[in-house]
Amino acid sequence: MSGPQRLGRRRARLRETAVSLGMIGPAVLLYTLMTVVPVGVALYLSLTDWDGFSTAAFIGLDNYKHLFDDPSSTDAWYVTALVAAFGTALMVGLGLVYALALKAKSRTNSFFRAVAYFPHVISALILGYLWAAILGTNGAINNTLAKFGIAPVGFLFDEKFALISLIAVIVWAGFGFNVVLFVAALQTVPAELLEAAAIDGASRRQTDLRVVIPMIAPVVTVATVLNLVGLIRAYDIVVSLTGGGPAGSTQTFTYLILARSFEGTKVGYATAQAVFLMVVSAVLALLVTALRNRQDQAATGG
Amino acid sequence: MVVLEAKPDDRPTTGPAHSADGKRGTGRKEPRSPVRWALLGVLFVVMIVPIYLLVVNAFKSQQDILDNPFSIPLGKLTFAHMSAAISSPQFNVIGGYGFTLFLVVVVDVLCILLAGPAAYVIARSLKRRTQLVLLYFLAGTFIPAAAVIIPVIYVLREVGLANTVTGLIAHDVASTLPVSIFLFVGFIRTIPVDIDHAATIDGAGRYRTFWTIVFPLMRPAVVTVLILNSIGIWNDFVSPQILLSPSSGHYTVTTAIYASISQYSTDLTKVFPNLLLAVAPVVIFFIYMQRHIISGLMVGAVKG
Repeated sequence: MSGPQRLGRRRARLRETAVSLGMIGPAVLLYTLMTVVPVGVALYLSLTDWDGFSTAAFIGLDNYKHLFDDPSSTDAWYVTALVAAFGTALMVGLGLVYALALKAKSRTNSFFRAVAYFPHVISALILGYLWAAILGTNGAINNTLAKFGIAPVGFLFDEKFALISLIAVIVWAGFGFNVVLFVAALQTVPAELLEAAAIDGASRRQTDLRVVIPMIAPVVTVATVLNLVGLIRAYDIVVSLTGGGPAGSTQTFTYLILARSFEGTKVGYATAQAVFLMVVSAVLALLVTALRNRQDQAATGG
Repeated sequence: MVVLEAKPDDRPTTGPAHSADGKRGTGRKEPRSPVRWALLGVLFVVMIVPIYLLVVNAFKSQQDILDNPFSIPLGKLTFAHMSAAISSPQFNVIGGYGFTLFLVVVVDVLCILLAGPAAYVIARSLKRRTQLVLLYFLAGTFIPAAAVIIPVIYVLREVGLANTVTGLIAHDVASTLPVSIFLFVGFIRTIPVDIDHAATIDGAGRYRTFWTIVFPLMRPAVVTVLILNSIGIWNDFVSPQILLSPSSGHYTVTTAIYASISQYSTDLTKVFPNLLLAVAPVVIFFIYMQRHIISGLMVGAVKG
């Protein structure tokens, strides 16, 4: 190869790299500035006692220690764990029941699937307000009960009921997504398997439990973790349905971060809580990835 | 598969379950089983009644809503409260449509402009370095938006965009990039490279190859990303609430609803019409685009 030729090739390669950088650079830059840098800022602020205005003092890991001895923080985790665990169990369970009922391809079924699914496209904030107007002291249900002489039930104002109501509304809004997800998986179950089960004399219930659900088990696992990851971030619906009350009985962790710590100008502490939430989410999300990889391996016969 | 083999107690062994088995076993060729219709009946009532209440009560007086929330008092239905909500000078939801739609369009366009070429370079490169960039973006899907929103305020303050629409857009676009790039990369990899080579031989540069040859082939992925991002931005509450204070004078549908309902929560003639106005466009959009929306959101959630 002669000199000028080599030089020309190198220049071409250099130009190609420059063009690639030009195509990829803006996205990397914006993402870095708006997502990665804030994570760094959060890590730094979480080690300070900053209130958002005055100069911040470095206080080491005190905020993180405080996370575990602050009752409002531990209570919020307790509430969040209950919401995530019961919400996920109910959403996946109901999702499976309705997916099995609606798996066949027909107009009726796709109508009912849409009926189950539609709240998923509406903002959780708005759904929360709607349900607050239904379940509130002056809400549709209590006013109807009153006509029959029944005293109002504190669906949202009684510490015993409020968390149950919150979970119920979350499940109402979210289980339809699982239905659609599972139906898509169920439709890939080969018909020969079902025929084989029928020939072997299996009842419908046996077929569902022993053949169909095992076939879609990987999708059920992924859905479980998706629901968990989504629910530990519950915020909008808490704002509109209960405002964290009564007496903090429905205060989830994200609500605590944004509505209590941050509004209360405890910026340093709020960011420590945010970092902690990030870690928990990341662990759960890594779990999704690991499970998904295993699912892919299973799908390719590995 | 492994998960299921580890669950030996799946088998239904209880007495009642067996009798149910028999019934359903005989009725398996018959899809109109009563159990199924009971299930669907409950589903329909539970899902639709809240929407029924929303629609009916938006056209009733406070007294009628309180006395008979479920009824339709034909003679006394009124459009007064709805028109009051439509022309309300404060926290106007219709005004919120305009600003939210503007946000959705700008974020969608910028997201495609940034994510498309980036995904193209990542998908077509065999270098390890470029694949690390993909991982770098993927890490973003692990970060809960509500957790980084507080530090975002201070970053925006440093670059002089605090409490501005530009700042909100920058944050929203960045938040859509990871999933969009991931979906695009996956799709571009299914498009044969030969097409690119042919374009290069014909003298097209990389930008032109991407926008005129590859991008038009990415339609399904673009539709998915657009639906995913549009619904996400339209329904987003945390970002506009925290990044645009009321002093900015801009309200999205969600922040307008938040502001109006936290102020008038006991006045149901304000609550119901405003909520109906906020829900209507999304539900109409959903009814028209149902199939695309359902599959788009599913792909986004499962792969993203």
